[in-house]
Amino acid sequence: MGESFIDETREKFRTDLVFRVEDVPMRCDPPAEELEQTLHGLMQLNGYIIKSLEEIAGRGANAVTYRAGKKFGHEVAKYFEKKDNVEDALRELSYILHGQYTFEPWKPSDRDEYIVEENGSTFIYLVFHDCIVRQSCRRIGQEQGGPLCQTLCGYVVGAVEEITGKRGKLEIIHTGPNACLKKLILK
Amino acid sequence: MVGPAVAITPFHGNPSGEMRMIEIRVDEEACNGCGLCVKDCPMGVFELRGSVSSPVHPENCMGCLSCHEICPAQALEHRGVVPCRRMYVSMKVCRMLNRVI
Repeated sequence: MGESFIDETREKFRTDLVFRVEDVPMRCDPPAEELEQTLHGLMQLNGYIIKSLEEIAGRGANAVTYRAGKKFGHEVAKYFEKKDNVEDALRELSYILHGQYTFEPWKPSDRDEYIVEENGSTFIYLVFHDCIVRQSCRRIGQEQGGPLCQTLCGYVVGAVEEITGKRGKLEIIHTGPNACLKKLILK
Repeated sequence: MVGPAVAITPFHGNPSGEMRMIEIRVDEEACNGCGLCVKDCPMGVFELRGSVSSPVHPENCMGCLSCHEICPAQALEHRGVVPCRRMYVSMKVCRMLNRVI
């Protein structure tokens, strides 16, 4: 007869490792290829939290997630250089979002400029390619453009506001399985 | 053309900073002219010509692939699209499906 589950598990978690307080981890452990289950677990948990929030709070869920994203954006971006120029600010933003979201400026073919100044505000279209929010939505089969997407909107707005010192807004123009189009407005 | 090299310099999202043109092909034999791609595309890339969809403004395509996903005939092919990472794909499910297929 095999070992009991308790004995088996206790054996698995027994090591002779000495963990000293001065040990500083120099890498993210375990390596990326072993992270699939952890990542998917997080994606699902995150997705279901937002789904439940939407069920309970209705449209108020968007405000909550947007606010959460915005706080996160402000928090992260406060350690980055402040920029007045929109293009420089976008470059800083790309550093902030690196590894989580990738984006590129976009314009329709009939426009000459990417950055447009109109009625005292400035706007630019951004195409988001890699996006952990989209990945999470697709992992649990949730529609895009909902409260989970508002976390990204808040995150970008918070970061841009922190960098430029201007008030920002990010409108979702279109969501797709491979990329999403958003309009960043600065006032 | 999408993204001509004007004042904007490359970001992480577009490391090469090169001009990008997405080529779209419609399999005219497969297309059933349902018009879903015409309705779904926010950039007006497609138009129905006769009873077949035609990419009349491919220069406006941003590569979101909504049309690709919505096409019931799987008649569309996009070349030059930046593929996003697909971290949501569960290898456990894929392995199971592969066994069945």
